Amino acid sequence: MQYINAASSSEALAALLKADGRGMVIAGGTDVIVDMKNGKIHPELLIDVTRAADMQGIRVEDDKLVIGAAATLTQIARHEAVRRFYPSLAKGCGTVGSLQIRNSATLAGNVISAQPAGDGAMALAPLAPVFTVLSAAGERTMTMGEMYAGFARSAVDHSRELVTRITVPLPGAHEAASFVRLELRKSLSLPMLNCAAMVHYEDGAVRWVRITMAPVGVGPVRAAAAEAYLTGGPLTEEAMSRAGELALENANPRSNPLRGSREYRLETLPVMVRRALEECRAQLV
Amino acid sequence: MAELHTTINGEAVAADVDPAMTLAEFLREKLYLTGTKIGCGRGECGACTIIMNGKSVVSCLIPVMRAEGAVLQTIEGVANGRKLHPIQEEFINKGAIQCGFCTPGMIMSSKALLDANPDPTREEIREALGGNVCRCTGYVNIEQAVNAAAERMRKGEK
Repeated sequence: MQYINAASSSEALAALLKADGRGMVIAGGTDVIVDMKNGKIHPELLIDVTRAADMQGIRVEDDKLVIGAAATLTQIARHEAVRRFYPSLAKGCGTVGSLQIRNSATLAGNVISAQPAGDGAMALAPLAPVFTVLSAAGERTMTMGEMYAGFARSAVDHSRELVTRITVPLPGAHEAASFVRLELRKSLSLPMLNCAAMVHYEDGAVRWVRITMAPVGVGPVRAAAAEAYLTGGPLTEEAMSRAGELALENANPRSNPLRGSREYRLETLPVMVRRALEECRAQLV
Repeated sequence: MAELHTTINGEAVAADVDPAMTLAEFLREKLYLTGTKIGCGRGECGACTIIMNGKSVVSCLIPVMRAEGAVLQTIEGVANGRKLHPIQEEFINKGAIQCGFCTPGMIMSSKALLDANPDPTREEIREALGGNVCRCTGYVNIEQAVNAAAERMRKGEK
């Protein structure tokens, strides 16, 4: 096996194209190395993008938060602008694995790994992120809904293309986001359930709301029925509880021997959805 | 094979390595720095924690070639000759060690924290050590050891 430390995204892409499907991109590597050890993947070439100069850092540009695909979860969780504009994203990124994992792992990788409930990816989901993807055809953008092709399967082909940055619109007036998690313990544990929301609430009415939940399907699942029910109405205790119940219409959780049965998850999901909405409202009222 | 240039415990190291190795394997099997333990080998126990460019990382999940040009600290570089570091002494004083297998990782996580943050809160200590699993001591003594070491380090001890 060969290994390249790419100095830029274009250098990484050139190496990928030259390898013609036998190479793959590695960022933090906290999933890739485990998959290699388990014999799930056998790359002939790893192209490390953690030093790619144009994929570093986090910045505010116009009305957007731009997160370089090589930014680590620790950098995001502790970044002043992330904490100010999207504390829910800081919380989700600050919850993945352990500090040692977060010191290597990236948010872009958390999405590309396409695990059903990555806390960073799930906190990001309702914020309407846009992913910039670089391939032989040039740059294109993808939405959160387009990123997941299946369980642990990304729509981005890491042997032929790479995510270079994630762009998130900053919250406007009357907007707030939240991230909540049902967990066995605080560190080194995947969530039993996680749920994130973003709402625009003005003059006592929900203008729009996005609710995402996991692991209840492939990637972050939108609670479409709950969103439709809430839109146009007030965020009362009754409405938030009802939205929690309606979230079940879009949820299809599996049973997990460690992190709860399907039945348990169906019982607790409405509570988590309600809490996510309550946290949004608490920031706005 | 590929050529690796890195700095480990203050010494420049050049070596021919198989890029498929992890950093933990390289440290243990090529350099015989066996103080870095491999517990689970999948980033879930923290026994292989080292400090890379000032940050704690699990070396079992770091591809060896990422260490190119990096500055690494392992448990072997923590003591000053025969004089233990205050963190090591306080782990002993507070009974924060039993079987000892997790201890090198615990010390490296603690050192990464205290080097960057001399006066951590309880929550910051717990965040720093949350990725290190110990099945003997029950964590309370470990937290006390980190606090005691922090106090000594604030007074200038190294």
